[in-house]
Amino acid sequence: MNLLNRYLQAVARLLPKARRDDIVAELRANILSQMEDREEVFKRPLTEDEQAEILRHHGNPTIIAGRYREDNLGLAFGRQLIGPELFPFYKMSLTVNLVITVVILAGLIPAIAQMTGGAIVLSRALIPLVTQFVIVTLIFIALERNKAHVLDKWDPRKLPVVKANPDDGPTASNIFTFIITALGTLWVALTPHWPYLLLGPGALYLPQLELKFWPQWPAFYWTILVLLCTQLVVQFFGVFRWLPSRKARIADAILRTAGIAVAVLLLLKGPNYVTSKYPEVAYWANLNFEVCIGGWLAIALWRVGWIAFSLFRERHQMLPARQY
Amino acid sequence: MNESPFENLRLELRRGCLVLAVLAQLRAEHYGYTLRKALADDGLEIEESTLYPLLRRLETQGLLVSEWREEDKRNKRFYRLSKDGKVILKQLLEEWRSMGESLDRILREVKV
Repeated sequence: MNLLNRYLQAVARLLPKARRDDIVAELRANILSQMEDREEVFKRPLTEDEQAEILRHHGNPTIIAGRYREDNLGLAFGRQLIGPELFPFYKMSLTVNLVITVVILAGLIPAIAQMTGGAIVLSRALIPLVTQFVIVTLIFIALERNKAHVLDKWDPRKLPVVKANPDDGPTASNIFTFIITALGTLWVALTPHWPYLLLGPGALYLPQLELKFWPQWPAFYWTILVLLCTQLVVQFFGVFRWLPSRKARIADAILRTAGIAVAVLLLLKGPNYVTSKYPEVAYWANLNFEVCIGGWLAIALWRVGWIAFSLFRERHQMLPARQY
Repeated sequence: MNESPFENLRLELRRGCLVLAVLAQLRAEHYGYTLRKALADDGLEIEESTLYPLLRRLETQGLLVSEWREEDKRNKRFYRLSKDGKVILKQLLEEWRSMGESLDRILREVKV
């Protein structure tokens, strides 16, 4: 089913992210049923050519993805110039082109102004923008008019090979998250012994400042450290897929929720986390502490909300695992 | 578009009929592939690239409901007519019959 995976990957790339997995899972089920039907007729597995023929008949991935878009927008000037199937790609190409042009122009405007005396900079800047707009639009109008010829000439065997499935082994993103968590945990564990890690050269002044945490702080500190270490273990198992993706996400959400509870308790305790013989130093230290907890809390809430939403969506739709 | 005027008019004529046919066929539950086969068995061939996105669109419009269910060891998305879909189908069928009768009367008077 290598060809089918390549086909689905090509369609998936062009689909809106929110509905991508759902649409691809449905396409997979439909195409597999069609292939099985054909195999029953032939009483043998399909050859690669026969699979390719089914996929070719199914339609060009660009057209298929365009038809799944619900905005149904197009470009019309009296008659329709660019239809809804190609319009999303037209919009994307135009945006990329115009953004690149604007960035380049922004860099060149001072030079152009110097050359021209500044008076006609705007008109000079508009020429490349209008040119880009016209060229991209003309290309897509031509493509739309010859859609049947251009987009029908495609071969499923020439589609890009399937990228490694993230559920098959370590991914760059998982490894990066694990390294960041490991460094963060190490930092939290070492900072009490080496305040330099937090304050840099300012740590030399700590003895004179006489900073003191409130008495219950050690209990909070050790809870945070234990939560971080547990998260590190969960992520380690996640990196090597010893823990299924869904379970790893649930564990992640639970640990973050526990962290949120700790952060809320800390905020309720605030703002007198530390005292010093210099009230101003204590004020700024407490303010920094509170801002850091608040920032972490916002990120953790967003992350837990996102995990809960994705788990709910998968459960609600009974989606099979991502397979392309 | 490079299609002939006939092809354009034929596609236009088919477009509305396809929606009606899909809604009517989905009085019984189907997933995409079996729906396409059922329509083809009744003489209405429809491309996959047209049918599957159409199902999504009709669902978004509230005319169909769907659910993922396992069948033959594979998850499939099954569609059927929603409550609103049944009402709309009834209205569309009335419209279809009325138009058919009118067209019959007109065609009786005109030699093609």
